[in-house]
Amino acid sequence: MKFSYNWLQSFFDKKLPKVEDLAELLCLRVFEVETTQKKGKDFVLDIDVTPNRPDCFAHLGIAREISAILGFKLKEPENKFKEKGETKAQVEIEDKNDCPRYVARIIENIKVRASERYIQERLMACGVQPINNVVDMANYIMLETGQPLHAFDFDKIKGEKIIVRRAKKGEKITGLDDNKYELDKDILVIADESCAIAIAGIKGGKSTAIDKGTKTILLEAANFNSVLIRRASKKLNLRTDASMRFEHDLDKELTIKAIDRLAFSIQGDVMKMVDKSFEKTKERKIKFDLIKAEKLLGINIAKTQARKILESLGFEVSSKFEIGIPSIRQDIQIQEDLIEEIGRIYGYENITGKFPNLALIPAKRNENIFWQEKARDSLKQANFTELYNYSFISKNIGDDFGGPLVELENPYSEGLYYLRPNLLLNLLGSIPENRKHSAQDFRFFEIGSTFRRDRGTIKETNMLAGIITAETDGFYILKGVIESLLNSFGISEIFYDNFEANPEKSKMLYWDLRRAAEVKVDNKEIGFLGAVSQIALRHLQIKENVFAFEIDLAQLIRSAQEENEYQPISKYPAAIRDIAVLVPRNVRVIDVLNIINSTVGKLLKDVDLFDMYEGEGLPQGKKSLAFHLIFQAEDRTLSSEEIDNFQKKIINSLEKDPEWDVRK
Amino acid sequence: MDIKELKKRAENDIKTASSLEVLDEISKKYLGKKGEITQVLRSLKDLPIEERKEQGLLANQIKKELEQAIKSKDFGAHEDVKDRIDITAPGKKPLHGHLHPITLVRREVEEIFAKLGFETVEGPEIEDEWHNFDALNIPKDHPARDMWDTFWLKEKELLLRTHTSPVQIRYMENNSPPLRIIVPGRCFRYEATDASHEMNFYHVEGLMIDRDISASNFKAIMEKFFEEFFKKQVKLRIRPSYFPFTEPSFEVDIECLICKGKGCPVCSQRGWIEMAGAGMVHPNVLKAVKLNPKNWQGFAFGMGLDRLTMMRYKIKDIRLFFSSDLRFLKQF
Repeated sequence: MKFSYNWLQSFFDKKLPKVEDLAELLCLRVFEVETTQKKGKDFVLDIDVTPNRPDCFAHLGIAREISAILGFKLKEPENKFKEKGETKAQVEIEDKNDCPRYVARIIENIKVRASERYIQERLMACGVQPINNVVDMANYIMLETGQPLHAFDFDKIKGEKIIVRRAKKGEKITGLDDNKYELDKDILVIADESCAIAIAGIKGGKSTAIDKGTKTILLEAANFNSVLIRRASKKLNLRTDASMRFEHDLDKELTIKAIDRLAFSIQGDVMKMVDKSFEKTKERKIKFDLIKAEKLLGINIAKTQARKILESLGFEVSSKFEIGIPSIRQDIQIQEDLIEEIGRIYGYENITGKFPNLALIPAKRNENIFWQEKARDSLKQANFTELYNYSFISKNIGDDFGGPLVELENPYSEGLYYLRPNLLLNLLGSIPENRKHSAQDFRFFEIGSTFRRDRGTIKETNMLAGIITAETDGFYILKGVIESLLNSFGISEIFYDNFEANPEKSKMLYWDLRRAAEVKVDNKEIGFLGAVSQIALRHLQIKENVFAFEIDLAQLIRSAQEENEYQPISKYPAAIRDIAVLVPRNVRVIDVLNIINSTVGKLLKDVDLFDMYEGEGLPQGKKSLAFHLIFQAEDRTLSSEEIDNFQKKIINSLEKDPEWDVRK
Repeated sequence: MDIKELKKRAENDIKTASSLEVLDEISKKYLGKKGEITQVLRSLKDLPIEERKEQGLLANQIKKELEQAIKSKDFGAHEDVKDRIDITAPGKKPLHGHLHPITLVRREVEEIFAKLGFETVEGPEIEDEWHNFDALNIPKDHPARDMWDTFWLKEKELLLRTHTSPVQIRYMENNSPPLRIIVPGRCFRYEATDASHEMNFYHVEGLMIDRDISASNFKAIMEKFFEEFFKKQVKLRIRPSYFPFTEPSFEVDIECLICKGKGCPVCSQRGWIEMAGAGMVHPNVLKAVKLNPKNWQGFAFGMGLDRLTMMRYKIKDIRLFFSSDLRFLKQF
């Protein structure tokens, strides 16, 4: 909010510090000053007044702060004048909850002309356009006191009567800005006997505007329900200097002070006041405990100093430290609010840092984060780079691939429309952009929350997903990556299952389900692995093969185990034999492994597939699988006859199937 | 044996050696523990002093010459290519990926606070109005709600969390004080993006509640944090602010590390950089989680993790974090 330096100066006899120094002081004691700018002979301070301090949406409010900070005496503005006679105006309030107070005065024998130059300059410094002496002065007093004010041409008010009521459905009004507004029952209006003449607390109406011929005016200083004004302002999409102030709970006593100040400032015959007041502003007192203040701030402060600070801010301090709260300080509700007042004027920079005196309790490890970070490290080692993508996906992609999506009431754009149901769609989206700069294979992963709708509720799941661009062997590379990732989680029993259709998965169009597998641990599915479907690739404008995996991290972490027990190493030598078997192409590695493993038992320590080949040199429809067989006993050296025997047994078992052929 | 004779024989052997293995053998034969030259040197001690001096000098010189000859032996055309190296040729790096810079900085922040006894806690990104606003003393239709531009879900009363503060509430609902936590996480704000604003961003929240935790304690802990994080003494400044969930409320600045407070483009000539919003937990927040404000007090703070990351690596544009641009990411 903009403030004039010269205006602030006008409240003091003593010279204020230079504008930059004043800005710094305000920043350390009350509000941040965004900028200071020279404007003619004046400076404009753009002060970031916090929403709890509507009393400082006004020059007088800032001046009070300056007075407390610098110890300068503040000159209160004058508002003494003589009333000339009885008022003709009548005011009727339909609902006191909508308008707890309405104060009006009539001024007769007005001469409408341009304002004095310094008034115009100060208004312009604050970003308000000068219009004429009446309107300008109403704005000026608002900027001075923080109370929005309005002036009606009294002769244009039908029936000499002000009615504060809710608008009727479909009721229309033309504002002072020449715009037409359609109103409804949620919007409060000021009306005369025939129609609405202002949108209460937001905008004046054109029909009662002050013009050159205006002779008699009615001044309004009201207090409206802040929630009502806020809602109406939002509904009309109309935020004004007045509505911005009324959205906060203003001091109801301010109405009288402001209207008298305005009446004093406009030349004319001021008539008696109409004051519709429904609740007396109660005097508020808060008990103040200096020990609590010291305990909360961590300082020692003398009683006299605390008293001085509070009094400088306009609080009344009794001998028992019962603090009287001036009505203008609606924000002061509890003792802690007063502690803040003391702390900031005392100066937070004067508080020295002291470590707390506490028992030494080590921080508990967060298991979820521990494992999550382990996954990150494991993938980094596997040459994957971590991406952070938006939590949103586009409408277009979502509609085609998303499944049961979570929708936003106010999406940012069509491109950022739904909450992401998985991490893969955005990971895939990063390929084309990166392809412009690089020809290498990409390995990307991300860990993050995904969102989907599940039987009426919204499910937020922490997922881990990765993609790899590769010609053909991507599946095996990713399978290896998952294997080593899971091993680092202490999980060695991992199963891969064929995809099985269920209603949820039938929507997963981004997988090529013929080349995909479910990843299972403890017989529970924890993830998915496979080739990305051609439809998805085409849709995302990716011109290469991509393989991907996704894992439910919470499920994975549930199975993770940190303990790792050492297995004794056999003292006796191991013997390695190789074996290659020619099988029909559709035979899976696991089928061969199962036969090998069930033939020998414990003494076959390990079986490794080291080659898988099909193509040139092999009979049509066949592939060759080659294994290392490792034999070892715990209690003796195996003889070569024994080992030959085992190998023979294995060969026999494998060749039981006439289509299988062990290559000798 | 004449030591000069021995030298000649050794030189000849070195000359005719055809491979590194053979050369190794020769080296052992003459210079090894039981090598011939070594034997000669050992036998010197039995000679009369004059002779010992003379022979010793000679034998040591021969030893040096032979060592040199072995070292500089060139196998010529016979040399195995595998044995030759060029120490100036580039090394072969092991392949590895990269972690996101915010991940790296988050880990650091977690580590520093863990040392100070703060446990790391997480919470959901979809929140309800109660945890994100009401329990934090931000009632409906309160002007303070305008401080947070919110993404709302189609479902009534659900939203994307605008800060990590709701996790304070969730944690206090389930844990009794004394407590010390930090909460890193992704937050959302409905606002236009530019070089310093993102609609997805990262916060780290801190909360410490005990019998008499004060603003002074807060200052000490933050000073320690920044000192550890920036690995040097950092000047810290607390000034007034307003948040509905703290009273008193603070803004925490650190002196600009670039200009040391003199004013430069990095700090927009202010000499200070805004790092965190903070304050003493508002009694209404404690009441919302059924803690008695007469018995418990403490501080809370919220800090931009992305901002810390930008300072750490001198990144000028926050949008790079979500760009997925490998040219950016592979630098970390």
